[in-house]
Amino acid sequence: MADSPEAIQKSLRLYKLIGAVLFVGTVVTVLVATQPFLDIGGHGFDVWDMVLGLAIASVKATLVAAIFMHLNHEKRLIYWVFGCALVFAVIMAVLIGLAKWDPIHYNGFNDGVPGSETAK
Amino acid sequence: MEIPYIVTPRKDTGLFNSKIAIWLFLASEVMLFGGFFSAYIFLRLGADFPWPERTLPVLPGLINTFVLIGSSVTVVFAWAALKMRQWGRFQIFMGITIACSGIFMGLKGIEYYVKFHHQALRLKDYAVVEGHLGYKVKDGVHVGHGDHPAESDFATDAKGSKIEENVINFEASSITFNSVRYERAWVEAMIARAAEKKATITLASKLELQSEPGKQVVFAAGRALDLELLDAIKRAHLAARANNAALRTENLREQWAKAKEANPGKRDWEFAENVVVDQAAITDRLMPEQASIAFNVEPATSFHFRPRDIQEAPDSGALRDGTALKGKLLESPMVFHYVDAIDFRHLVMKAEEKNISPEVAISNSWLLKENPSLKKIWDKQQVALAQLTKELASHGRVPTEKDKYRIGWQEMAYYATTPIDQVKITPGKYAMPKVKEDLKEEFFGPDYKVREAAHSFPHLSVPREEILFASKFAPAWNTYYAIYFTMTGLHGLHVIGGALVLAYYLFCGKKMYLSNPEWLANRVEVGGLFWHFVDLVWIFLFPILYLM
Repeated sequence: MADSPEAIQKSLRLYKLIGAVLFVGTVVTVLVATQPFLDIGGHGFDVWDMVLGLAIASVKATLVAAIFMHLNHEKRLIYWVFGCALVFAVIMAVLIGLAKWDPIHYNGFNDGVPGSETAK
Repeated sequence: MEIPYIVTPRKDTGLFNSKIAIWLFLASEVMLFGGFFSAYIFLRLGADFPWPERTLPVLPGLINTFVLIGSSVTVVFAWAALKMRQWGRFQIFMGITIACSGIFMGLKGIEYYVKFHHQALRLKDYAVVEGHLGYKVKDGVHVGHGDHPAESDFATDAKGSKIEENVINFEASSITFNSVRYERAWVEAMIARAAEKKATITLASKLELQSEPGKQVVFAAGRALDLELLDAIKRAHLAARANNAALRTENLREQWAKAKEANPGKRDWEFAENVVVDQAAITDRLMPEQASIAFNVEPATSFHFRPRDIQEAPDSGALRDGTALKGKLLESPMVFHYVDAIDFRHLVMKAEEKNISPEVAISNSWLLKENPSLKKIWDKQQVALAQLTKELASHGRVPTEKDKYRIGWQEMAYYATTPIDQVKITPGKYAMPKVKEDLKEEFFGPDYKVREAAHSFPHLSVPREEILFASKFAPAWNTYYAIYFTMTGLHGLHVIGGALVLAYYLFCGKKMYLSNPEWLANRVEVGGLFWHFVDLVWIFLFPILYLM
């Protein structure tokens, strides 16, 4: 890690740059979502808007983690800790997602609620 | 005592201990938020209603993103300043960071406030109405659309606050309280209401109770309802219950002892079912219990109750505190003073499930059939939609469901103030026509005081039987708002927690800076890591909740 005052002084420029990139990324995300001439995919929100929005967000998040949180040059132990957490978070998401392929009939959350349309 | 490895790294890990600690904590946070993001995806994919895409005001969310990114930069700068032993610079940057968290929570507060004061209503045909309810005026005061009643003309509840026009009106001729659970504020409100209507609420029949064994208290029929009376009956009832329970227990013990004697050598369970309280032996010592207290209302008087407090039927009602009403259910419409949006997306979704064409379903909806002012607005929307469809078609595109089936407040205000032959979309905007919102409206939603002058928002009275579900834009409204409040609320708590820790370093760190600056720098680094994580979560929350 950059620990000497000189090295820190140097990295301050990098922090400013990353800050600027994050600002620009945010502006781009909002413009793409709100300005018709930048609307990708079909008119209005669709899967391409989602892909682009999440891609920009992922880049921004990676920059924050790598530069501001110093993950670009960190000790191995921390990679293990953080990596395991990410893996478990992904496993959890997949397990929850499996509900979509649940062979038992799934019909929204009102299923079987008395008075709702889908109650049988 | 010296704490090891807070400044110098440990040999085996190469890190100072607090850094490992914060990363372990952040790892658990990743899994916590990961769970909520998974929940979001699950709720969205499984939603049985049209997910409200791009429904939140973007500007406050955008500013909040800038604010958090900015504070992420300043917190790194504050740490760097400490590393270079510049206390003054540290104070400035840390101060900015904490100020940023204040702005963030302020904007969040505004956003929440607006949601919690904005009414939503799903009708039986799944059309959705949004807007603001009017307030009940006192009986006898008549208010036309656009009139402003004086503050003294509004009816008030037991706490003295105005009552939104979303109440169940019930004309009660008899009220029966549960003698233990009656809600004092509601009783007081009933007494006040009866006094206002010059009616009396009196004890239906004479009650002969005992305050203690053998000590008679008599409550004469015709006594007026007040809390003292209810409390006295409650005390007598509870005393009787305690006394009677003790008698029964005592008697049962005796019976048990006798049974044991009579059945030597038998196991308990073989004779236990035959051991019962000997009612005859204790009858003359039992005190009278009075589980409910009936009152007559003379003449029958209309009371109003919040919908969540009452389960109503045509000739009876049951309040949440166990009070039973008899009488007549009156008209109890829900009255919107301003309708600022109507939305047919859910109705269309339901219609398509039944193979009914959207146009037929919409034109048969209660909103358009029974409300000419909304029908007029809808007709204008159709004119604009035809223009938009044509413009988009030249680019091979089609209008969205939102364009087609939702009239938001800005469109509503536009249609309400534009004659049908002048409805026109703005070329090149590829959007439905709408009024411009001013800066304040970007945060707080439509400014009714100003917009009302132009009659921008229609009035609407919805009969109770048309209502499927009504709520503010609170977590109860739908799963989108449930997950929105859960995730932003949890994130907001993290902002507050982080800001408190950073503020502690700023305001109480001078002593440590003078004695052991490297320790303070390490603390700020660890606090900063948490702060960056909070920023990182928001980087995802902003697009998925505001822009998708």
